[in-house]
Amino acid sequence: MSLDIIKSDLIQYFIIYKPQIFYLIETFVKIGILYGAVMTLAGVLTVGERKLSALMQDRVGPNRAYILGFTLWGLFHVVADGIKMIMKEDFMPKNANKILFTLAPIISLVPILFVFAFIPFGNYINIFGYTARFEIIDSNLSVFLIFAFSSLAVYGAFLAGFTSGNNWGLLGSIRAQAQMISYEVVMVLSILPVIMIYSSPSLSGIISAQGENISGFVPKWGIILQPLSFLIFFTAALVESKRAPFDVVEGESEIIGYFVEHSSMRFAGFMFGEYIEIVLFSMLISIFFFGGWQVPYLSDSGFTLGNISIPVNHYIKVILELLSISVKTVVFSCIFIFIRWTLPRFRYDHITKLCWKYLMPISVLNLVVTAFFVRAF
Amino acid sequence: MIRTKKLDEKKLNFWESIYIVEIVKGLVVTMRHFFINLFFPSRIITVSYPEENLPLIGNAKLKSLHRIKLRKDGSPKCVACMMCATICPSKCIYIEADETENYVEKYPKVFNIDMSKCVMCGLCVEACPEDAISMDTGEIVGGSYDRFRNYKNGGLFLTKNELFRHLPHETISKSGAANRLANKYLEDKND
Ligand code: SF4
Ligand code: SF4
Repeated sequence: MSLDIIKSDLIQYFIIYKPQIFYLIETFVKIGILYGAVMTLAGVLTVGERKLSALMQDRVGPNRAYILGFTLWGLFHVVADGIKMIMKEDFMPKNANKILFTLAPIISLVPILFVFAFIPFGNYINIFGYTARFEIIDSNLSVFLIFAFSSLAVYGAFLAGFTSGNNWGLLGSIRAQAQMISYEVVMVLSILPVIMIYSSPSLSGIISAQGENISGFVPKWGIILQPLSFLIFFTAALVESKRAPFDVVEGESEIIGYFVEHSSMRFAGFMFGEYIEIVLFSMLISIFFFGGWQVPYLSDSGFTLGNISIPVNHYIKVILELLSISVKTVVFSCIFIFIRWTLPRFRYDHITKLCWKYLMPISVLNLVVTAFFVRAF
Repeated sequence: MIRTKKLDEKKLNFWESIYIVEIVKGLVVTMRHFFINLFFPSRIITVSYPEENLPLIGNAKLKSLHRIKLRKDGSPKCVACMMCATICPSKCIYIEADETENYVEKYPKVFNIDMSKCVMCGLCVEACPEDAISMDTGEIVGGSYDRFRNYKNGGLFLTKNELFRHLPHETISKSGAANRLANKYLEDKND
């Protein structure tokens, strides 16, 4: 009797709160998909970097870790490295600030992870009449929010060096401050023209604007309209991810870096944060300059070019779009790695000179010229 | 007076100073290596030791895995004199002697070499009066995680089962006084 009442009550609630419940499920599924993919890619990149660099230098790279005799081209080194990191001694220097020292790796990891919530990683999917957009937080100011949150990660690098009570760490932090804050400015300045051209400060707006074609057959991608912005943004992204040729912050051969006192999983936090940053910037580059999830000529009605049109099933279209942004992200992550293993380290004064004397004026000029053209036409 | 050294920095021309062309040139070099190695992995000259070995050149083969030479009748040439175990700097040879009925009267009942300790110095070969122990197999001892597992099973421990052997195409050795004694015993027995 009472059970029946509860049952009918539950059904009542379900009917009332149906949209909310669906939204909750949808959000959790999206979080699962996006963060699962990002974490997997970042994990694979830790080994992928060693493997790719080995191939570039005529070596074979890591290939020994195995499970049941299978080495899987060294992929199990992700697991082996993780276990190794956990087993290492968790060291805390005597004169370190205990709280901030512990907080530093978290601060450098969490904002970067949070930024992914704003990233649209697909268009939309329609399952039995229920429409879900592939975007965890739909904000119409997402471009600015992304830069606001991702620049918080710099605090992780500051705090790590300042609070560890180590002079090398301090040096690393000072370098991180100077280098990363200056390039933060350049990075946002280089994105402003893109926002102007697509006249939208939200990522999904920018992406859908890139679905159009210029004069019928050239995709209206950022790389074609704003190649200069692309170069500047790419350079700034290399600096922000603290990798060669801009790795004076770490400088393994001289100061080891801001995380010199961090060991075990604390160090793994920084290390993994760096790889997640690579994934993030690869995603942003593909969104701003390569159309994000857009597949050239693919729209709701299928492939269209001029008068020819091939209809495409909705689900195939969704898969193609998801594949599109994944492939772009992976390719750019690889380019990050290739650049790192090709170029030597910039001298410290050259980095700041490059930023303030060249990239900054060029990006301001680019901004002004773009503003003029956007206004004129 | 402070001594100074003046560095001549090469003046960059315009294309070099905007880096992009030079970066692309650098990438072409590394990418060429990358793709060649990706599609033709056999071009990488790395040898995956210990699964793979390069053939030993010249006399390098005389500092390889140990063995004990055998006589005509298949018994070991070793007479358990303990010379090798005594001279071994890393004390990795363990011998237990026992009696045999032939004229030599002594043979090693147990002959173990712990290859995880051996430094491949070759002093045991120099010391042996019977030319019994020798390092001419041409095999290279690989790394292992288990020093007490048998060599045949991927470990580093040699017992007489692995040590006492002929090499393929080997002519049976005639050297050594004890060897001649043992051969004489064989002849006497056959008469
Ligand atoms: S090679 Fe040297 S270390 Fe090895 S068993 Fe012979 S004497 Fe001992
Ligand atoms: S020195 Fe030669 S004969 Fe003597 S115990 Fe060693 S291997 Fe045997």
